[in-house]
Order: sequence, then structure tokens, then C-alpha cells
Amino acid sequence: MSTIKTLRVGVASCGIASGAEDVMALLKARANSIPVVGVGCLGYCYAEPMVEAVLEDGSSVIYGNVEATEKSVDNILALGEAGRFEVPPERKKREKIMVLALAGRVDPVDFDDYVAHKGYDGLKRALAMAPEAVVNEVLTSGLRGRGGGGFPTGRKWSFLAAKKAEEKILICNADEGDPGAFMDRSLMESVPHQVLEGMLIAAYATGATKLFIYCRAEYPLAIKHLKIAIQQICDHKLNHLGDRDVEIVIKEGAGAFVCGEETALIASLEGQRGTPRFRPPFPTDSGYKGYPTMINNVETYGNVPLILRDGGAEYAKVGTEGSKGTKLFALAGDLKYPGLVEVPMGITLGEIVFDIGGADRTKVKAVQTGGPSGGCIPVENFDVPVDYDSLKTLGAIMGSGGMIVINNDRCMVETARYFLDFTHRESCGKCTFCRVGMTRMYETLERITKGQGTEEDLDFLADIAPKIKAGALCGLGQTAPNPVLATLRYFRHEYEEHIREHKCRALQCNAMVKLQIDHDKCVKCGLCVRSCPVQAINADFEIDPAKCTRCNSCLDACPKKAIYRVHNGDEK
Amino acid sequence: MSIEFILDGKKVTAEPGQTILDVARANGISIPTLCRDEKVSRTTSCFVCVVRDVKSGKFLPSCSACPAPNQEIDASGETVREMRRTALNLLLSEHTGDCEAPCTVACPAHASVEEYVKAGRDGDFLKSLQIIKKRIPLPMSIGRVCPRFCEKNCRRNVYGKPVAINEFKRLAADLYYDTYMEDLPALTGKKVAIVGGGPAGLSASYYLRMAGVEPTVFDAMPKAGGMLRYGIPEYRLPKERILDRELKHYTQIGVKFEFGKKLGDNLSLDELQKNFDAVVIAVGCWKGSGMHCPGDELSTIGIDFLRQASESGYQAKNPGKVIVVGGGNTAMDCVRTSVRLGSSDVSCFYRRTEAEMPAEKLEIAEAREEGVKFTFLVAPVKLEKRGDKLVLTCRKMELGEPDASGRRKPVEIPGSDYEVEADTVIAAIGQKSVIPAGIPANRFGYADAQPGTAKLADKIYAAGDCLSGAATVVEAVAGGRFAAEEIERDIYGMDVEIDNPIYVSRGKWQHLKKSDLVFVRDNVSEAERAELKMISLDERKTTFKETTFTMDKETVSAEGERCIGCSCTDKTECKLRKHAAEYGCDPEKIKGARLPVSYDTRHPLIIQDRGKCIKCGVCVKTCAEVINRNLLGIKKRGFNTFIGTAFDQGFAGNCSDCGACIEACPTGALDWRNKK
Amino acid sequence: MDNAYSYLESVGKEPSNLIKGLQLIQSTEGYVSDDAIRAVAKYFSLPEVEIEGVLSFYAQFKRVKPGKYKIALCDGTACHIKGSPLVHEWVRQELNLSPGETSADGLFSLETVACLGCCSLAPVMSINGRAYAKLTRKGLVKIIKEYQAK
Repeated sequence: MSTIKTLRVGVASCGIASGAEDVMALLKARANSIPVVGVGCLGYCYAEPMVEAVLEDGSSVIYGNVEATEKSVDNILALGEAGRFEVPPERKKREKIMVLALAGRVDPVDFDDYVAHKGYDGLKRALAMAPEAVVNEVLTSGLRGRGGGGFPTGRKWSFLAAKKAEEKILICNADEGDPGAFMDRSLMESVPHQVLEGMLIAAYATGATKLFIYCRAEYPLAIKHLKIAIQQICDHKLNHLGDRDVEIVIKEGAGAFVCGEETALIASLEGQRGTPRFRPPFPTDSGYKGYPTMINNVETYGNVPLILRDGGAEYAKVGTEGSKGTKLFALAGDLKYPGLVEVPMGITLGEIVFDIGGADRTKVKAVQTGGPSGGCIPVENFDVPVDYDSLKTLGAIMGSGGMIVINNDRCMVETARYFLDFTHRESCGKCTFCRVGMTRMYETLERITKGQGTEEDLDFLADIAPKIKAGALCGLGQTAPNPVLATLRYFRHEYEEHIREHKCRALQCNAMVKLQIDHDKCVKCGLCVRSCPVQAINADFEIDPAKCTRCNSCLDACPKKAIYRVHNGDEK
Repeated sequence: MSIEFILDGKKVTAEPGQTILDVARANGISIPTLCRDEKVSRTTSCFVCVVRDVKSGKFLPSCSACPAPNQEIDASGETVREMRRTALNLLLSEHTGDCEAPCTVACPAHASVEEYVKAGRDGDFLKSLQIIKKRIPLPMSIGRVCPRFCEKNCRRNVYGKPVAINEFKRLAADLYYDTYMEDLPALTGKKVAIVGGGPAGLSASYYLRMAGVEPTVFDAMPKAGGMLRYGIPEYRLPKERILDRELKHYTQIGVKFEFGKKLGDNLSLDELQKNFDAVVIAVGCWKGSGMHCPGDELSTIGIDFLRQASESGYQAKNPGKVIVVGGGNTAMDCVRTSVRLGSSDVSCFYRRTEAEMPAEKLEIAEAREEGVKFTFLVAPVKLEKRGDKLVLTCRKMELGEPDASGRRKPVEIPGSDYEVEADTVIAAIGQKSVIPAGIPANRFGYADAQPGTAKLADKIYAAGDCLSGAATVVEAVAGGRFAAEEIERDIYGMDVEIDNPIYVSRGKWQHLKKSDLVFVRDNVSEAERAELKMISLDERKTTFKETTFTMDKETVSAEGERCIGCSCTDKTECKLRKHAAEYGCDPEKIKGARLPVSYDTRHPLIIQDRGKCIKCGVCVKTCAEVINRNLLGIKKRGFNTFIGTAFDQGFAGNCSDCGACIEACPTGALDWRNKK
Repeated sequence: MDNAYSYLESVGKEPSNLIKGLQLIQSTEGYVSDDAIRAVAKYFSLPEVEIEGVLSFYAQFKRVKPGKYKIALCDGTACHIKGSPLVHEWVRQELNLSPGETSADGLFSLETVACLGCCSLAPVMSINGRAYAKLTRKGLVKIIKEYQAK
């Protein structure tokens, strides 16, 4: 049997949150001369912390859910059988690893490691071509913007390339603002050079002179890795594109979802309030400080090195007629294997949610795609292929790749309320339809989830939502009503139950729910009484609904699972 | 190079850089906008200016969108109008302010209360009277008998008593009514007949005369005034000293009167229709309801009792021991008239409690002062004559569930009957109209007009109680003007202007705290409300002398200092209000939280009222781009966005008071403090 | 310029660096005070009211001094689905804090954030940047107690 050559520990944000740093420290202390390398994310978030033992023969053994104990670490060093991690076979069969090929397999801040894995081959090939040929290669690949809009990337590039200006600006939108999405974070943390390589290729192809990465400040690790990588690029003079040196600047976002909108992002880069403006002029005509400007998102840039390395035609072999390549999805919510997955375009939702995610077929009722701008797709439509155009017909969007699986015990009205709570707070406040309209929609949903809704409220939502979509200035307002429209379309009965019967079938809306103790199961241990922060449980183990805040503390504390959430008025 | 495109179906030309809005204006197509101001760069904020690209169906802000060659733009269609209406309704839904003062809105005649109070405060009671007469052509009477809808809605109720608004009318009329003469327009030759010389008919005649029409009032009674003369008792409205004086003016302005004429009796509708361009039916509500119990016919009907007292010159005989059944204002008039006719034992019987009595609180209190006794939760069951006395059998009641009117319904208590003896039993239960034959009537017995109009049939209109049901004088006066305006439009063939005034309101004072109010005026007086001085109680009980004295000028002017001045400083110029009215908007259509009350009066000349701000930021740009001072900035975001000054310390010392921001502000969010 | 903020010099003076300058102030001081705004306005030659406008637009900037331990509750979609509203309630019960507030002893301040990017470990919170995953009430109380004892 082969011996361990290297130990890789996943220390991206998810890993760290699960305690990977402690594992890594312990490994270093006990691994003697074996090098221990911190790497990015393998995408199996549910199994963090993860350690990969790379053997001399090139094969590797992966350990999941590693504890920071000597026993567990020694087991790895001895290549023990315990705790070995296997990629679920269903997932292995369906995923298509292209963009993430190096994530978790190279040291994010080791330039040579990246180069050793064919890194910068794409750039090298591009530099050997004419810029127009590079644009053509991207056009051939059929790559479309991964930020959500799905605009053909090559065409966008050709717009900028056609501009004559003393400065041309290229921006990488790394402000991954959708709550529930972490594809871009993962890619930047794990393989920052891949994103930067994509940007450099784009800069060469379009004649850009200045490159910005607009990254959200909540991603400190990504920023750190990018900064190191940029320095390495400059050290290796990779920022010299034929006739010119380009500058690469990281700008940290300051927390505003609307800055995902390109004109708002540019305003923010200019040091102003991140409010969008009316287009035209489009940024390719007049963007950052009036210069022609082009914005692509992280994942889009992440695809570019592959296209240039292997050729656009080769890339286009993956995917469907209208949607080429793969897509990253951040899978979360009610499923067994949450994490990051890369799948070919055209795979069905059901394959992602059930086969890869391991969600419970008997319980799932919907999946939310596209974050707060997207929509819910009910389980009945899970046979639909995942591509830009099919999802649109269902009232959802591909979005940036957040995918939240929703079980029967989640309330769809509450889910819609949640998204509108987010979007109405993130509205920049400039245009009437979004600023006031979204607030009114949110208030209406708030009323319904509190059991104070009326039939008129439903009519109001149905009436105002399309008007906000049609009237709002920017993409935020134009898509923010989507979660309401989608839930109204597929789950109208849940709205009606809230209004007519004051009933939340998911037992989630607190105003319609109380907690109750099943006295047949209760052993009077008193753990619930002690756990209750508001002294709502008396000596007879009765819960006073007036005092109870429905915080579920007792429910979690009960060892006999004798406490339930029930509808107001129901007796168990 | 200029381009051509299609705007509302017409081929038009756009120069480079011109927006759709620019081209529309150049071609006489009106597009509303709040946030576009040519002096500053575009804000693209209000979205009231949206138009539709016909091919794609997309809506575009015309202030910012430049047309594309051959683009087809819809700038006036209903879908476009609906989007604009929605944008305006959304803005109205967050707007915190009062387009009009609540007193003015509450007044059925919509008299400009705040303005006539201001004139009085400034000591100009002639101006006050002129403003009042625009809506109230009987100020002497109404200044005495009005139940004061305005005062009940006065924001001073939030802390203390309301401004004594009605005293402004009474004083202004007492001072100048006899001498003030309107500029009368020349007669146009149009003639209108008005059947009924009560407040509604008189009001119609007044406003028709002001429109150049020659009105003739026909009345069944020997004198004009209707309910003012034959219903409301002398002690509230003196007939010779006040009413006759007030009506003299009507003859002076050319209103003709014919008395003793009753429609269907000695006056024919056919004749009227033949001889006049229009006929107004304003016959009032003169049929009193009985008690609907056995022996009902032995009772006296309240309204008849009052009319007889008036006809006798208030010399009618002592009614003896009196029981008045009912709890409204007519009942109060009856009990207090009975006292003055010499009765020493007057009772009011009412089937609910005092809290539910529809009569004015002041009337109840004054009746009580005059010795009237009240018995509550009692209903008549039977009236009999025993000897020369009447015996009323009563049943006790208790309050049950609320009924349709929201008041708790009285429920009989079985076996609780008892008898009371009286000389006179007066039924003051309510009044109905008797619509003359040939006039369209509805199933409730009132004149039958199309909703929202006064029109009954070709050339026939109605006004006052006979249309609305028994109501107040000020409502009758409002109805008279409403009918007059409709007749004016019809006989002169004028276009119907859709009158949709927008009244955004901070809400009723009952729901407000003092901190919810905006004090634009400095030194709103904290003094107590001025109260009317009364004649002695003895005089009140033994004579029909008017119970109160008109206040003096100083007192009323000082009372004017108590007025907060609630209405928006910008009410006549506000673009939001103007366009909202044009687009048929409704401030209550979309529900939701309004902007918090937050205003700044630290600048001596300028008020900033954030509740009215639409966040277009034109003021910010004006101060920065035109004036080069940068005193204003947009802060926060989303619904919480607001326009503020540095550290919110108000306009800094380097503000030049130029008012450019005020000029630019589409609403009253920035305005001069002194109301025009 | 005010000596207290001379470190601003490390940022270029062009207005496009305004947000960077404010981020530098915040990371140094923990928040952006009125004095800092005046210094920034002077440094970038921009009106103070504009600095306030930019500051108040972005969620990242704090205008009051935060607590020693900054708790960030994630209310991203995955966390929400996995019960972040309950986590809010628990924190409220333990520390009597609502988002945007700092405890009276200056120890904790609380904010909600859109997403910490650890969606598959929901519900998540972070204290001074350190993430805590798969929160339960018991676990949360234990974490808070640890910080209180520090």
C-alpha cells in the first residue's frame, strides 16, 4: 500500500465554520514530515471538515466529518477505514466537474500548484491569438452570463471590444448578494487564479485597461486569496497583455444587494450611493467614470480559462442547445447532502434535488431557484430541464445558482414574506414602484402570515406585482415580486388557508400555531420547564399560549418528543 | 441627426438627446411628471411619466428614455394611465400630510375654514365673510345653528378643545352681511324654478344667481326659510332680527319669491317645465313619524309642534306636563320650546342611553340646565286618554348587540311596563319627505336621483332633505350648491369636469398625538377655547330670546390664534395632488404604513416636512448643481430614504434662502413657512 | 487634517475611494463617528451630507460604537428555512438585544446579515467573524456563556 504524500484540509468558509482549522492544526502537529495543505472546497459541505490524503501513487483517500481529536487524526495518518468518505454514487453519476475541477485539489494561494494543474494555459493560448479570435472562441462556446441574466458572454465582449476609448474597464461582479448562494465565494476561495485568469483573457480580448473585482466584504477569505493571487500575477508579469500592463483592483462592497445591478455596482465603485440609473446609456457605452465598461460575474469568468484552454467547440459539447456548459448550484434547505454541485446544463431539477441532494421524495414540495429574484417550482415540475429558458417558462429563473429545497413543513406564504422582507429592505429607494410598491407587498404578506389577511389582500398582490415588475427602474424591482407571483401561482391554496381558515398547514406561522404537550408521552422530567425562557409551562405541564413565544426551546429540550406545534384551536 | 418615431399614432421627429417627454411636450401631448426638472440632471425617480413601447409592451420613463427610430410609443392609452395612476397611488399611500385642513374636509359644504379663520385672526372679517359665502350663503343662520362638523374634526381636539370656528361665521355675518354685496354677474336670460324656500332651495337660488341665472323660489308657506323658520325655534335662530335680515339679501340680489304655492296643488310641474329652463325640487322633510303604538294619534308630532309654535309667533299655549319621545335634535327643540311656553314639567324619554343620543351634547346639557328631565332605556307601548290627561305606558329596555348603525340595540325587558301621566306627548322620532306627485321617488320616499348627481329627470333636479333624508342646514346648503352647479353645466352646455379632489389626511384627531401634528405657525395660542356668553337661565326658561350673544371681534380674532393651520402649505401647487386628481387617484386605495411625521422649522423661512417627500432628490440636485451649495443629501435607502441636511442640523448658515429647492420640490416637502 | 484620522492618507484622495476610506475608518475605529465624517469630507473634499448619504446607504457601516463581541445572525434563505427566526428569538431572550443594538455592558452588539455564505450549515451566526454552524438553542446559550466568561 502506498504512503501519504500530501494531506489536504478543506479550509474554505464552510470548513472553518465546522472546525477545519482545529483539525488542520492537529494534523500538522502529528503528521511529522508529511506536508499539510489548506485547500478550498470540495463541495461536500455536509461532510465538513474534510481531509484528503493524497497517496504517492496519485490516488487519494478522503475522510469526512473529521473531528479535531488525536484519535481521529491518527486514524487518517494510518489511513484507517473509519470515517472514510465516499462520493454518493448517484451524485458521481450526474455531476459534471469542469469549473470546479481544481477546487479543493489545489492550494488556493500556491501559484505553482495552479500552473501545475494546467493553470494559465488558457491565457497563454489566448495571448497567441488575435483578440477578435478570442471573442469568437467565447462566442463558439455558447457561454451565457452565469449571474442570472443569461446574456451571451461573447456578444457582451464584442460590444466592449468594438469601443475605442483611452480606458476600458472590466469588472468582476463578486458581490454574490443572493442569500442562499455561495458558488462564487467557493470558487474565489478555492481557485482564485481561475477567476483572475478568466478576467485577464477577457481583458485581452476586449482591450480593457483596468480590472475591478467588486467583492462583498462578508467574504474575507476570498478577498485574502484574491489579493495574494493578484500579487502573484504581477510578480509573474501575467498582467502584461501583449502591448500593455493592466491594473487589477479589489474593491470591497459595503453591503447592498442592489449593487448586483450593474449601474448600481458602477456607482458604488465610483464611491457613491449604490443607486441604479436608467439604461441606456449602457455601461459598454458609458460606465465607470464614463469609460466603456463591461461586467461579468465570477462564475462566468471561471468558465473562460476552460474555453480558451480546450477550445470553444469542445466546451460547447456539454449542455443543451441554448445553454452550454455546466452550472454551479449551492444546494441548501431540506435535504440530506447540502453543498456545492456542478452539473451539466439540461439536467432535471429532480436529479439535482433527489439524486444529488438526497432530499426526501415524500416530503419535498418545492425548490426555490434564483434567490429573492427567482421563483418557487413545485415538485410536480421537477422533470423540467435546468436551462435558462425552461426555468423562465415556470415563472422562475436560473439566477446565480442558489437552490433551496423546501419541505412540506415550510410555509410558502412565509417563504414569500421572507424574500420580500429582504428585497424591500434592499430597495435603493429611488423609484416609486420598488420603494413603495415592495413595502406595500411586504406589509400585505406580513398581515397574511399574522392571520390578518383578507381576500382583498390577495387581489392587491395579484394586481400590484406585475405592475412593479413592469414599472421598476432596475432588475431588483423588476424581479422582486417573483417569489410572490410564483407562490400565488402554485400555492394559492396556502394563502387562502391563511386568510379564510387562519391556518398554516406547515405549522410555521406563529400567529396561527401553539405548542402543546402530549401528556401520554410526557414523563414530567421538567426539562421543558427549565428550557422555557418565558416561564410559559406550569407545574401541570400545560403551556400558556399567552406567554409562549413559540420559540421551540421546549420542543428541542424534550427527550420524549412529547411536545408539538398544533393549530390554534386544535386539541391533540 | 434627428430621427422619426410614432407617438400616440402620430409620426413625430426627435432631435438628438431629446427624450420622449421632450418630444411629447413639443407635440402638445401632456405627460405628467413629478421629478423631471430641466434645471438639473435626470433623477428617474417618480415613474409617473411612464409611456409604453407598443412592440415590446415595456414601460419606459419618458423623462429619461430617448426614442429609437420608428419606435411606436403609447403615451396616453389606458394601460399607460393605469400605470401612472398606480405610481401616484403608491406615492399617496406613503404621503403623510393634510392636503386640506380636516375642518374643511369635514364641512359638508367644504367651506375654506382655515382661510376664513385666518382672515378673522388677521382682523379682516369682511374677507372672512367673502370666503364663507363662496360655500355658505346663509352665514347668519348657519353661524348660529350649525352642529359644527368642522369643530368636531378640529385637530385642537388632540390637546384641549377645538377652535370655536362657527363663531367666525356668526361674527363675520353679523358685522358685514347687511352691507356686503357680491359682484353680481349679468343675467343670461336663463331661468330656474325652485320649489321650496328652505336652506337647500335658497342655496340653489343663490349660486344660480351667481351663475347669471334668474331664480324664482316657490314656497307653500307665507314666508321663506323653511326649516330655518318653521323648525328651528326662535331662541336658537331669531326670526325677525336674524332670519328676515338674512333673507332680505336674496331679494336684493334678484331672487324672486312666490309664497303660498304648493306643487301639485296650486302649482303645476308642467307649467314650471314650460316656463323655466330647469326645476329644483327642495321640499324638505316635513312629515313627522309617529310612535307606532296604540293611541299614537293622541300624540303631537314634534315637527308640527315646532311649526305651530313658530306660526303663533311663539305665543302658543302652555302644553302642561310634557313628555317628548325621542333623542334627536328635534326632541331637544321640543323640550326646550315646551319649557319656554311655560311648562314646569318636561321630560325626554329615550329608548337607549345618553351616550347613544343623536342630539348635540350641548343641546342636551342646555336642556338639562333649563330643567328638562331625562328618562333613558324606555320605549312607548301604548297611549291612552284618561279624563283630560294622557297616560303613556312605557316598557323598560336594556342594551343588546350593536345594530347596523353601530349603536347597541335596545332590547325590551318583559314585564317591566309602567304608566306615566302627561298633558302633552310629543313624538320626535324622525321626519320623512313627501315627494310631490310626478316627481321620481325611490322606495324610501325620497327624490330619486342618479348616484352622484342631483338630476331626477330632464330639467328636474332635487336638493336638500327631500333628496338626502332629514339632515342639517349646512348639508342642505351644500346640496343646493351641488344642484346649482349641475344645472349651470347643463343649461349652459358646459363640459363636465370630473371633480376628484385629493384629500390625503394624517387621520382623525382621535388617533393622533400632539407629536403627530405639524406646527408651521409659530406661537399657536395655548389659551382655552372662547365660550359663548349666554343670557340668564331665568330668561332662557321664560322667554324665546336668543340664548347666546355674538362674540366680539377681539375674542374671535384671539380664538383664531388657536388654529394650528393643518392644511398643506403647498395645497394649491402640489404636483402630486394635481396629477392624482387628474388620474382619479384615491389616497386610501393602497393600504400601508405612512412616512413618519418629521419636520424641520428651524429655518426662519423654510419648512422641510419629510412626510411629504417623494425622494426624487431634485432639491438635492438643485442645491448642488444650480446653487452650488450642497446643503441637502439623500440618506438611508428603501422605504426609509429621506432628504436631510448635514448631521440633520438644519439648513446651515450658508443657505442663501434662495428658495430654489422650494421651487424644485414637486410637493410640500420643502416650502416657505408662510402660507400664501 | 485631524491627526486622529491621518491614516486615511493610505487611501487615494480621488472620490472613488470614498467607500474604501470609510471601510478603513470602520475597521480601525469599529464605527464611523461624526468627527470621522468631518475628517473624511475634508480629506476627499466632499460635502459632509454626501458622506452621510453614502454611509447610510450601505449596511456595513455603523454609526454607533459596536459591542466588544459583534454577533452577526445570518438570515440568508437557507438559514431562514432552517429556523433563523428562532435563533433571533433565542438571542433576544438571552441578551435582550434586537438587531442594531448594543448591550448595556458594551459586551455584545447584534446585527442580522443577508448571508454568511455557509448555507449548507444553516442556521449560522458569527461572532467577531468566527462562524458558528447548525445552531441549536442549547448550543447558542453555551457559546454566549463562553463569551460572557472571557
